[in-house]
Amino acid sequence: MTLRIDLGSSVPVYRQIVDGLRILLVNGELKAGDSLPAVRRLALDLGVHFNTVAEAYRTLAAEGWLETARRAGTQVVARTPQNPSDPAAAESFQRRLLELVAEWQSRGLAGGQVARELRRVAEGLERS
Amino acid sequence: MQAQSYTVWFAVLIAAITAICQIIPGRTRPDLFFAVTVEPAFRRTPEGLRILARYRMILWVSAAVAIALAILAAMPLAAMLVEACGLIGALVDAHRRTLPHAVSPSPIREIDLPAAAPEQMPGWPVVQALPVVFLAALGAWAIRHMDRLPQRVPIHWGLHGADRWVEAAPRKIVALVGVHAMLCLMMVAMAWGVLHWSRRIAASGPAVLGERRFRQRLVWMLIVVEYLMPFPAAAALLGLGSRSITIWGAALTAAVVIFLIALVRAGQGGSLNAPDPGVPVGDRTPDSCWKWGLFYINPADPSILVEKRFGIGYTLNLGNRWAWVMLALVLLPAAFGLIFLR
Repeated sequence: MTLRIDLGSSVPVYRQIVDGLRILLVNGELKAGDSLPAVRRLALDLGVHFNTVAEAYRTLAAEGWLETARRAGTQVVARTPQNPSDPAAAESFQRRLLELVAEWQSRGLAGGQVARELRRVAEGLERS
Repeated sequence: MQAQSYTVWFAVLIAAITAICQIIPGRTRPDLFFAVTVEPAFRRTPEGLRILARYRMILWVSAAVAIALAILAAMPLAAMLVEACGLIGALVDAHRRTLPHAVSPSPIREIDLPAAAPEQMPGWPVVQALPVVFLAALGAWAIRHMDRLPQRVPIHWGLHGADRWVEAAPRKIVALVGVHAMLCLMMVAMAWGVLHWSRRIAASGPAVLGERRFRQRLVWMLIVVEYLMPFPAAAALLGLGSRSITIWGAALTAAVVIFLIALVRAGQGGSLNAPDPGVPVGDRTPDSCWKWGLFYINPADPSILVEKRFGIGYTLNLGNRWAWVMLALVLLPAAFGLIFLR
């Protein structure tokens, strides 16, 4: 399993790290107890500032996915599901989804194509 | 007679350096040619072969001039200067001619997860500390037994034995073991830097293993050199004589040559044993940050050490302030020796 980062993309590296890791965590490919590269190591290997990686890890730690200890490094932890009925979180999710759809369309993807992609993701979610 | 043997030694050294530089372009990463990111196939194109031939021609012409200066005119220092200028000139010329063929390396980075265990220095920290502990014990013993020491102790050896001495005073003994201890610590710092302050070019797939093995060999070389470092101080204080220094010099040279052969065979970063990545990935540093293909200056890069683009091993990122601290630490033993061992 790999974390894929595009250093030439307009999406900030911080966001790519958070999104890439979150997909692996949600899909269960990264499990509780798995180790992630140390902040310094990942920053060196990507050629980005330490703070970029640290900020990404902090975001995921705030969501309850990761735990960072001085000696043990950064590890995936067993996560307690967050309250799904939180209206603020639901609203934020909807806004981000609309922003993403708008971004896809502005890059030239037809509405039907976007809908097909969203349907494919939705079907995957229903199966899991 | 003494001067003659020095000039012959210089000529042999120049020939050896030139021979190494002759083969280096073939041992760099396949997608780096004279410090420029290119398609891996470029080096086999007529233009690539022309650039290589011209580089080698400049290299050997300057080596011939340098050897003639060393042997016929008995001017070894001028010979070394000509050799250095010839080498840098050949490299800069080849670099300039390769630049129009540069390509953009892949911006994609893939990191293997979960993270593998971090690479460790060989043995426990005590293994790296032993030579320094030995030197401290040697210094303490020498100061306690000043009556057993000769009136003056050698601090430098040439081809014909010791050629510089200092009086056997406690201050000088501390300086002597101090310089050697600093050299030992410098080796440990460099080995640590290679493992912890440098970038992995391959962070996923089978290439990781080759690169890891390359780094381990380099680290082992530095630790072996560290273990050999205290010997001149011991020979000076225990009065072991010039023959022991000759044997030590031969052992040191042999150890370094054996490790270098292994490193050169593996290619820069173990890249010659790695599968072809398909698209050029370079060494994950931008071409624009390399000056003449020799000096890397990139303040935005957190790495202190990066792979050399021309040569085997690592070089400093001069855009990182910690690299300057490291450079100062490398120069410290020489400065300390010049001040306290006069």
